[in-house]
Amino acid sequence: MKFLSNKQSNVLMLILAFIGLNAILLNSCTASEKITSKSGAQLWGENCQRCHNTPSPATFSPEKWETVGMHMQSRALLTETEKEKIVEFLKQ
Amino acid sequence: MRTILRKLHLPIISLLLFQTITSKAQQVVVDSSLLDRINALEKQTNYIKPGDDHFMMVGLTTFGFVSNKTTMTLGDSSSIIKTHSLGDASHYEFSPMFLWRHGKKLLLEFEPSFSNGGLGVNWAAISYFATPGLIIRGGYLVLPFGTYNKRLAAGWINKFASDPEGIASATDYGIEAEGGFQAGTMKWNYDLALSNGIQLQHDGTLQNVGITDNNKNRTFTGRIGWLPLANSSLELGASLMTGKVGDAGSQNENIKATLYALDLNYVENIKPFQLNIKGQYGITDVDNTSYMNPVDSSQYTFNNHTTTGYIMASIRPAFVDNGIKNFELAARFGNYTSPAKSLWGTKDNSLAFALDYWLNWRTVLKFTYEAIKGTNTTDVKLGGTPGLVTQSNSFYLQFSVQL
Ligand code: HEC
Repeated sequence: MKFLSNKQSNVLMLILAFIGLNAILLNSCTASEKITSKSGAQLWGENCQRCHNTPSPATFSPEKWETVGMHMQSRALLTETEKEKIVEFLKQ
Repeated sequence: MRTILRKLHLPIISLLLFQTITSKAQQVVVDSSLLDRINALEKQTNYIKPGDDHFMMVGLTTFGFVSNKTTMTLGDSSSIIKTHSLGDASHYEFSPMFLWRHGKKLLLEFEPSFSNGGLGVNWAAISYFATPGLIIRGGYLVLPFGTYNKRLAAGWINKFASDPEGIASATDYGIEAEGGFQAGTMKWNYDLALSNGIQLQHDGTLQNVGITDNNKNRTFTGRIGWLPLANSSLELGASLMTGKVGDAGSQNENIKATLYALDLNYVENIKPFQLNIKGQYGITDVDNTSYMNPVDSSQYTFNNHTTTGYIMASIRPAFVDNGIKNFELAARFGNYTSPAKSLWGTKDNSLAFALDYWLNWRTVLKFTYEAIKGTNTTDVKLGGTPGLVTQSNSFYLQFSVQL
C-alpha cells in the first residue's frame, strides 16, 4: 500500500532535510559562540595551513599584510570576520 | 628629638626649594630638545605614512632537473627514449605578481609569467570587495573549477615536482562573484563566473587558455565549497562548468560541453605531525558530433567523455623541535582517461612519491619520482596505434620559492 506518491515523498524528504539542517544550525548556536570568540591567532593557525605553510607575522609590514589579507580572503574565501581578525593579528 | 627636627627644619626646606628650582630648569631644557625631536620625527613619518593605496610585488620561481626514461611497447616490440633536462623544461616558471590595493575595497592582481612556452599572462583582474561575503571581479580570470589550478598548482604550494595529469581548467575573460560565510559552526563559500567560453577544437578537445570568443554563448563556471568542521580542517567542493563550445555558424554551433568536479582538502595537526589529504575528480562531457579524420578527410565520431582524478596524502613532522620538522613525505595517485577512438585516446595511471625539504614556509626543495603508465586507445583509422603501452619514469629535483 502506498501512502504517498513519489513526488509527495520527495517533497516530504526535502522538508525533513530542511528542518534537520535548521535544527543542526540552531543547535550549534552555543557552538557558534565558540566560533565568534576565536582569536586572530587561532584563525590564522587553522586557516592558512589549508593550502600552504603558515607564514609568520614577521614576514611582512602591517601595510603589506593588509594587501595580502585581501588577496588571501579571495583565494581562501575567508569570512569577513576571519579576514579582519587574522590581518589584525598578523600586523602586530 | 623634637628640637633636633626643629633645627633641621630650615636646611631641609631650603634643600627642597633648591631641588625644585633646578629640576624645573632641567625640565625646560629637556622639553625643548624633545619638541625638536618630535618635530623631526613628525616630518619623517610624513614621508613614510601609508597612503590609501599600496603597491607590492610578490611572485614565484620554479626550476630544476628532470631525468626521464620512456619505454613504448606494442606487442613484442619496444623502444626506449631517455632524456635529461636542466631547467626542468616543462616546469620552469618565473612569474612576478603585482598586487595593487586601493583602500580596502579594490585589489588589482596581475601575474605575467615566463615559462617553457614563452612569455604569457596567468591572470590579470580587478576585484571589488563589495560587502562582507561578496567580492566581484572582472578581467582575465582563472575560472573557479575544482581547486587544483586556482589554489594548489603553484610550485611552492604543490608538494610534487609535477602536476597531476589532465586536470581540467580554463583561464578566460569574464566576471566573477565569490565569498565565504559562517553558518553555525560550518562555513560555506561560493565562486561563480561568467566568461567568453571554452572552445571546441578540430579533434574534439577543448581550448582552455588563449581562447578565441567563437560564439555568442557564455560559459558558466561555479564552485560551492563546504567546510563542515568548526576548525576549518576539511573542505569539500563541487564544481560545474557549462556552455556551448562550437564555432558560431558551423555544424557544431549547438554543441555543449559540461564539466563536473568534486574536490577534497583535509589538513589536520595530529601533533607532532601535520597530515594533509587532497584530491579532485572531474568529468568532461562534450555533446556528440562528427570530426574530420586527418588521414582521409572523412567524418568520424566518438563518445567525447573524459575523466580525470588525483588523490594525494602527505605527512610532515611539523611540530618536533629539530631539523626533521623541515621534511615532508608525500604520495599521489592519478588517473586520466580520455575518449577512446579519439585522436588523443589514452588511459593513464600515475603514481608519484615526493620527499620535500622546506627551507622556510615558502621555499622548498623537492625530490620526486613519478611513474606513468599509459595505454593508447586511439583508432587505427585515425592513424593511431591503439594498444601501445607507454611507461614513463621520471626523477625530478626541483626548487621552488615564493617571493
Ligand atoms: C585556499 C588556499 C589558500 C589559503 C587557505 C591561504 N592561501 Fe595564501 N596563497 C594561496 C595561493 C594559491 C597563493 C599564490 C598566489 C596566487 O595564486 O595568487 C598564496 C600566496 C600567499 C602569499 C604570498 C603573497 C601573495 O599574496 O600572493 C602569502 C603571504 C599568503 N598566501 C598568506 C596566507 C595567509 C596569511 C593565509 C591565512 C589567512 C593564507 N595565505 C591562506 C592560497 C591560499
